[in-house]
Amino acid sequence: MSRNDSNDQVFVRRTVLLGMAGGTVFCGLAARMYYLQVVQAEDYRTLSENNRFNFRTVVPPRGRILDRHGVQLAGNRQDFRVVLIPERIDDLDATLARISRHIPISKDTAARIAKDISRKRKFTPVLIADHLSWETFSAINLALPDLPGVLPLSGETRDYPKDGTFSHIVGYVGTPSQSDISKDSDPLLRQPTFQIGKTGVEQSADARLRGKAGRLKVEVNALGRVVREWPEAKDEARSGETVYLTLDADLQAFTAEQFGEDSGGAALMDVQTGELRTLLSMPLYDANKFVSGITQADLDKLYTDPKKPEYNKVLSGTYPPASTFKMIVAMAGLEAGVINPAEQIKCTGHMELGNRRFHCWKRRGHGPMDMHNSIKQSCDIYFYEVAQRIGMEKIRSMGERMGLATVHPLGIAGQSRGILPDDAWKRKRLGDGWRTGDTLNASIGQGFVLATPLQLCVMTARMANGQKAIKPHLVIDDALPEFENMDINIGHLNLIRDAMYAVCEVPGGTGYRPDGMGIPKAKMAGKTGTGQVRGISSAERASGVIKNRDLPWKYRDHSLFVGYAPYQAPRFAASCIVEHGESGAGRAATIVRAMLGHALKSDGFDQAAAENLLVDL
Amino acid sequence: MIKDRLYQLDWFVPALVMVLGAIGVTMIFSSTGGIWEDGAQQHLIRLMLGFVLMIGIALTDIRIWMGMAYPVYLGALALLIGVEFFGVSVNGSQRWLDLGVTRVQPSEIMKLAVVMALARFYHDLPDWRVSKPAGIIGAIIVIAMPVGLVMRQPDLGTSILIIAPGLLLLFLSGVRWRIINTGLLAAAVALPLFFTFGLKAYQKERVLTFLDPERDPTGASYHIIQSKIALGSGGVNGKGFMKGTQAQLDYVPENSTDFIFTVIGEEFGLMGGLGLVLLYAILLTLCLYRAVQCKQVFSRLLIMGVSATFALYIIINLAMVMGVAPVVGVPLPLVSYGGTVMLAVMAGFGLILSAHLYRDQELPRGTGLLL
Repeated sequence: MSRNDSNDQVFVRRTVLLGMAGGTVFCGLAARMYYLQVVQAEDYRTLSENNRFNFRTVVPPRGRILDRHGVQLAGNRQDFRVVLIPERIDDLDATLARISRHIPISKDTAARIAKDISRKRKFTPVLIADHLSWETFSAINLALPDLPGVLPLSGETRDYPKDGTFSHIVGYVGTPSQSDISKDSDPLLRQPTFQIGKTGVEQSADARLRGKAGRLKVEVNALGRVVREWPEAKDEARSGETVYLTLDADLQAFTAEQFGEDSGGAALMDVQTGELRTLLSMPLYDANKFVSGITQADLDKLYTDPKKPEYNKVLSGTYPPASTFKMIVAMAGLEAGVINPAEQIKCTGHMELGNRRFHCWKRRGHGPMDMHNSIKQSCDIYFYEVAQRIGMEKIRSMGERMGLATVHPLGIAGQSRGILPDDAWKRKRLGDGWRTGDTLNASIGQGFVLATPLQLCVMTARMANGQKAIKPHLVIDDALPEFENMDINIGHLNLIRDAMYAVCEVPGGTGYRPDGMGIPKAKMAGKTGTGQVRGISSAERASGVIKNRDLPWKYRDHSLFVGYAPYQAPRFAASCIVEHGESGAGRAATIVRAMLGHALKSDGFDQAAAENLLVDL
Repeated sequence: MIKDRLYQLDWFVPALVMVLGAIGVTMIFSSTGGIWEDGAQQHLIRLMLGFVLMIGIALTDIRIWMGMAYPVYLGALALLIGVEFFGVSVNGSQRWLDLGVTRVQPSEIMKLAVVMALARFYHDLPDWRVSKPAGIIGAIIVIAMPVGLVMRQPDLGTSILIIAPGLLLLFLSGVRWRIINTGLLAAAVALPLFFTFGLKAYQKERVLTFLDPERDPTGASYHIIQSKIALGSGGVNGKGFMKGTQAQLDYVPENSTDFIFTVIGEEFGLMGGLGLVLLYAILLTLCLYRAVQCKQVFSRLLIMGVSATFALYIIINLAMVMGVAPVVGVPLPLVSYGGTVMLAVMAGFGLILSAHLYRDQELPRGTGLLL
């Protein structure tokens, strides 16, 4: 009994002991609770807010690119796409089968969708198809009740005029590459559908066009799903700026029309401001295809075309300037004082240099030629003689002063420098010393001399301006560039300009047309050029040079022309190269004449204005 | 007769149990974003079923439960072995047994069964043998068999919840202090060895994470950090019902089951948390008092064993949620969503009520295995 009692007491004692121990533990927990919820409450509140809020990037609309009159060259258009929300889809295959009644879904697409679904959070939309037509999009919208979890969306995509007249200059946008992303910390680049400028002005003015990302404060749950938006804490996105180009869409399209099926390049610029009104490369291509992801078939077509539509001929294409280079030689000769403009040099159709014979394009020769006539009739022998007297170095230097062999930066990638060769250049490139024969070839813009259509346009603009070394520019900025003085003897220049006038406006000139630019009484000046693309052997010369018409297209001569107008008070200078367009007097001259006429007319220059100018003549 | 018994029933205990259960329904409703069908409704149904079970067990004569002690224990052992062979894996540990109609966690039943078996064991054991080798080894075998099976699942939380109340019953049955001290010393030596060789990698990770929560803020310690943020940001008065951002935005994982206390702490603050702890404390104190009132060894050890298990649930869960114990997967009884635990707890309180109701019933000692 006593042992029983004692065990009973032990139980009670130990139970009380346990109760006290338990009570102590509970008090400890309460103390911990107090510590967390009172002492450290503020810290944890901050952490909880950090957890809860997140900032989303708001993508601004990309700035538009307009021509000088506000015609849209690049804009944004509604793009219709269909996405699905994986977590709301019960049976993916069945859903895709139902969608495929409206949108064809290939095996590859289905596989891509399945892959996207497996990689992303279940509430992240997965793209089914984009760039849908309005009809398809509305069909999907109508079918929505049968398509739970499928969401039609409309967003913005870049849009270029379909004709492609500005594709080479405006360029196009595309998905940023890995290296774009690593070089640029802009959060926009990390947005899934964001595109940046890849070529042309889209690339050079990308910073302005892109705008600034906005921030939207959102409440997110642990999985990152947005639960609520907080508009009052919104950091507005700044839309991309509108970029105005100096180009004239109407003139550009007009010029493209003049080219027709031909390939080549043309430029037209203001001789006072350097503003480019036309910068065209032919043939055209549709830049929209690059935005939506060009198909391999389209790409192959583009790259195998012998006319190389994708090649930016006006800025990157280099051509022998041919006879359009003769003004440079003449100016260099006059400046060096080695030639009197009135001096007559006899053209017999060829001249001997050592054991080589150099030909004039006119086989029978022009007879005695002074400077005026040698330009007007484009006599080669005259320039061989002048070049021989002054040497290559002076020609080269004059060419550079007139804007050749110089990159005129327009911000567009791939602009070519062209070539004005000299001894050092030849040694470096060909490992061979300079010969007088090379100088003779260069004097008629053949041989090693190469220039882009833009450079020829700049050269012509500088000759038309007479004082300033005009530089081209493309984007209308607040400040016009400062032009340096060219320091060219105006008396010499006037001799040349007078001869260029004769080329176009005086019978017997190589570029003469009775009706000129199509504005009565308005006069122009210019120079033809025929760029030889193949060597003519002496055997062929003996048996008669094959006519261009009888040659395959790719062996025909390039047709070149440079000119400016109005002659009395120059406003515009233009250049044009038609690849394999045969003689410069033909295709290129016709195009430049039309361009200058059109530019003047759209600038309000008419017959009355021309007559006012003629008073001074 | 039953009417009398119902009248004599200690109604404080079921009332408190139901209040706690109702708190659970409310907090589950909040933690599931206010969707009644996502758990709160189920919890309420289980609470009602549990209530019926509790009262049913309470009204049944304690002698029947004493007689059932060993069969229940052996049955639970059989189920645990069943889990070993036919168990269903959930979250990487094999704890569930699919009975066709419903899935049960035999380890939850085992917690009660061990308490019943030990109470019965000491009831039959003459007092003088309690501190003798036969008594001690017998009790340890009763504890060790299920623990061995549970550790294989593996389930650290349940193991602790079987071992600790079992050892408390040893303590309460009057084992000498000298033996207890020796045992504690041996445990102090064995524990580090157990940590090194006895735990699975993820269990070790949990303990290490607990010791240094910054080890891996998005992995293993994410639970603890997020749950502390939830509690701490609740402050004194809380963010308001259904306004807890941590809870509503799913930052705290498992917040309708093991981490339900974070919802209470975040939405009702220190006041809410302390209120809940106070309710538990009142309920436990009441049970302690009932145990002391009982003269029968089986009854009072049964009450103490069930109460200790219940208290350990609460302590381990709260310590875990507040970041002072490793994450071991122990629910907050009556409040956390979970069927088997709810029924086991209800059954446990039923036994307490029955022991109290039949406290004057003389229970024969030493009658052997079955009654």
